[in-house]
Amino acid sequence: MRSHSSIEIRRCRPLLGTFVEVETSGANAARLERAIGAAFAAIEKVQRLMSFHDPTSDVSRMNREAFPRSVIVHPWTWKVLEAAQQFARESDGAFDVAIARRLADHGYLPRRDYRFDSAATWQDIFLRKNYRVFFRRQLMIDLGGIAKGFAVDQAVAALKGNGAKKGIVNAGGDLRVFGSTSQVIHLRHPSKPVQAAGAVRLRDRAMATSGIYFARRKYRRRSISPMVDGRTGRSSRELISVSVAASECMTADALTKIIFALRGKGAALLAQYHADALLLERDGEASWIFRSPCDTRDRTRFD
Amino acid sequence: MKAEFAFIALPVSALIAPSAFAVRYLNVEQAQQAIFPGKSFTAAPVKLTGVQRKAIEQASGVRVLHDEQQVWRVSGGGWFIVDEVVGKHEFITYAAGIIADGSVKQIEIMDYRETYGGQIREQKWRAQFVGKTSRSTLKLDSDVKNISGATLSCRHITDGVKRLLAFYEIALKH
Repeated sequence: MRSHSSIEIRRCRPLLGTFVEVETSGANAARLERAIGAAFAAIEKVQRLMSFHDPTSDVSRMNREAFPRSVIVHPWTWKVLEAAQQFARESDGAFDVAIARRLADHGYLPRRDYRFDSAATWQDIFLRKNYRVFFRRQLMIDLGGIAKGFAVDQAVAALKGNGAKKGIVNAGGDLRVFGSTSQVIHLRHPSKPVQAAGAVRLRDRAMATSGIYFARRKYRRRSISPMVDGRTGRSSRELISVSVAASECMTADALTKIIFALRGKGAALLAQYHADALLLERDGEASWIFRSPCDTRDRTRFD
Repeated sequence: MKAEFAFIALPVSALIAPSAFAVRYLNVEQAQQAIFPGKSFTAAPVKLTGVQRKAIEQASGVRVLHDEQQVWRVSGGGWFIVDEVVGKHEFITYAAGIIADGSVKQIEIMDYRETYGGQIREQKWRAQFVGKTSRSTLKLDSDVKNISGATLSCRHITDGVKRLLAFYEIALKH
């Protein structure tokens, strides 16, 4: 006999250096469990391939060996790198996966004992046929600014592939909602991050938020953060946050970093990706940087 | 189906209240079945001696906060452990499954609580959750279901698991 009651399953595991939450609902508990298992397996796979810390990951292999010889990577790693390079081109290098050396200098990533070319940028990364990656200079990449979004997309694909009709995957704030129902997402207050400054309603859409409030620290008596502008190498010190909504979480993830650096100058890029961007000031005041024209319903209310 | 994205301003009370985000994912029985489906479990709590405690701290480099560890023996081999960690803003109860060869099978977060203003460090605040892990449902701030914001690190869980693996070597394995 078929039951009409819907069961909701919500799980959370420590992955990708943060807390990853997967939720779905439906009538068949065993099927939901299987879908959730597949979603976490996809995220674990992204972690295995793209972790900066795991010496056996594609990222670590590239950082050790892609200069001076090329390295073959998994198609998923390739896909993320391809997207990263496109975002780098489109943002004139504000988004740059080659900033890992600076993050390591500042203690956000472990230091490596090989020598790096301090002038190296994303333009020294070459993607060749058959999933080969080659670095023209000795450099170090970190996919932390984009892989989390990709992992969320893969988890959603795994849920759908296992019959899930609706749900949400939230990797520490980078999230994607799918299915017919919308979800309310609370946004952390940029200077009081354990409180909510507001909320957005999302349906069939991804959102990522970048802010520095949990990661700020002192370096040589200056305040620093892991939010680095690839063009200048400077890290952001402002207690603001930028949230970007887009159809894919990988896009939203990368665009938050770009908008953090470019602000209003990134509007054309947001339009190109049919993305929306919301800025929260230090005091929690919200303002839109851009609203995609495809959505004219439910205009922003600030009352 | 149309994509939707709208900003909702929150009432002032929600903005100034010393809010706490809390989620209950799994109780003990649910966590057991999530990690070891279809198995049965026998409670085998462990009380650490001072010597064991020191040895665990030395091996893992992580402080042991409690002498008592909630442990279950899993039918067919393996262990199920419930543990908690305290961060600057977060207090988390989680379960770990350790299989016969001593490796971690799976980690599941059971309860996640986040608050502001130093409450996490207070025994009294944490004590209100003690004993609620097994059956009763607990819902604080149930309006806040999903949060987006800068990523909160899971480093304390990573440290906790390191400590549990040392605990396994020192207090469970033999």
